Amino acid sequence: MNRIGLETLMVKETRRFLKVAGQTLAQPVVTTSLYFLVFGYALGGRVREIDGVPYSQFIAPGLVLLTVTQNAFLNTSSSMFIAKIQGTIVDLLIAPLGVFDLMVAFLGAAVLRGVLTGGLVWFISALFTTFSIAQPVWLLVYVLLVAIAFAAIGLCVAIWSDKFEQLNVIPTFVLTPLTFLGGVFYSAHMLPSPWDTITRCNPILYMVEGLRYGFLGTATTSPWLGLAITGGIAATATVLAAWMFATGYKLRS
Amino acid sequence: MSARMAAVESRDLIKTYPGVQALRGVSLRIEPGEIFALLGPNGAGKTTWISIVCGLVRPTGGTALVLGHDVVTDSLAARRHIGLVPQELNFDPFFTPREVLRFQMGYYGVPRDDARIDEVLTALDLIGKANTNTRALSGGMKRRLLIAKALVHRPRVAFLDEPTAGVDVALRHDLWSYVRRLRSEGTTIVLTTHYLDEAQALADRVGVIDKGALIGLDTPAALVQRFGRKQVRFKLKAPWSGDAGTLPDALRQLGATLEVGGFTVACPADTTPVAEVLGLASLLSPAVVDVEIIQSSLEDVFLHLTGRSDAAADGAT
Repeated sequence: MNRIGLETLMVKETRRFLKVAGQTLAQPVVTTSLYFLVFGYALGGRVREIDGVPYSQFIAPGLVLLTVTQNAFLNTSSSMFIAKIQGTIVDLLIAPLGVFDLMVAFLGAAVLRGVLTGGLVWFISALFTTFSIAQPVWLLVYVLLVAIAFAAIGLCVAIWSDKFEQLNVIPTFVLTPLTFLGGVFYSAHMLPSPWDTITRCNPILYMVEGLRYGFLGTATTSPWLGLAITGGIAATATVLAAWMFATGYKLRS
Repeated sequence: MSARMAAVESRDLIKTYPGVQALRGVSLRIEPGEIFALLGPNGAGKTTWISIVCGLVRPTGGTALVLGHDVVTDSLAARRHIGLVPQELNFDPFFTPREVLRFQMGYYGVPRDDARIDEVLTALDLIGKANTNTRALSGGMKRRLLIAKALVHRPRVAFLDEPTAGVDVALRHDLWSYVRRLRSEGTTIVLTTHYLDEAQALADRVGVIDKGALIGLDTPAALVQRFGRKQVRFKLKAPWSGDAGTLPDALRQLGATLEVGGFTVACPADTTPVAEVLGLASLLSPAVVDVEIIQSSLEDVFLHLTGRSDAAADGAT
């Protein structure tokens, strides 16, 4: 392990997003706050409660998840892809940074950004609802696993992509639809058959419900099952990204 | 022959891409403290060779070692000793040169050392732009920043892939001085360049590579001696009256020819001492009014070697 190298890369990846805090921190907070205001308040007046929870409180965990996933994904994917396009990836490829160093630094900075932005969204939503957290340990574990999963997916997508178009394929056509259909704004059992069953094949649902369990103490799916699914995705994506670094897939010819 | 460890060594290095054989078994040993220039036409395989040694490209066959560490099986140890100026300009648009150099040192496990960063920035005339975003640097400044990045962590072997491309003449000479200084401090320098005067001025040894094969390897002086041409040119007061067959026997036997409408007698001096050829001036009439001795440059040798290689390849097919 190259301790100084790992720390340096992590600091660099963190400073990269802090340098453009207006884009990386403020923008997602504004966007998700708008979701909260529009769906939580405008629509919340009509929906009132889901599963016995006020609607504005019900959607807050999903909005935090949305923010964590998007920011963790964007941090690794944009950094890696820009490095490939600009050619600065050479700096990392010829430096004595091992797979472990690269993975910890990239994922660490992305998790930090996901947690920071997710925390800000939670803080804003809590101003309108409540600051209480029912299961803080569960919440922390879920947030970290979700952030690791999406940071690793972001790395894989950026390494695989040769063009900006490809970089956007996964978030646009896979991640965003799955997230929006994953019970952020509604409960899965509100859907008519067979959609309620189909929705249960969506892994994001278990992440949303996991966060809901952490924040509110109630969920429509088992938190243990959600933990296994989220942990499985995080582990798979992490192993895949590590394999890409180790083999030089699309990085070393 | 000394048994000391080579700074860089490649043995039968082969790289094949689909439909292209970029390297055809290049074996090369570069000694510690040497300035070694790798020359060759575009697409000859220079950058592929450097890229394999630096770990950017995986070899199809053969081995490459940096200070005894195999670049494939012991890659982290090998990479710890190298610095690379890549051919393509690159820059990180988020940071300043000072930040970029701090990161670069860190990647190599070197603790933060602002004095070293100032030293490198000053040597490369970038100190005034130390805190300016890299986006705002000119092309020449970005090139110099690449050199600074390659050297800031004090690598034992520095690879400079066309380091002075696009750099003005004054700065080019400053860079040459800096390269010589690095060598005097013990750094081994491996450079590719299109400026053959650069190789001649800087390099202790030169390797000429063409179509993926090493076709010449020696000191610049020895290459010129071996492959270069020397010629004595006598300029006459008036044109020679006949053709080359009417030149004095001694000159004809050396292969002398007539040029410039008979005003110049050109006599090869590759095998005969120049003084002896000069002595033949008295045989010429009209009288000799001027004498010029021409020695091939490394550029001529380069053209000769790569041109001969073309001819050989054509003949083989």
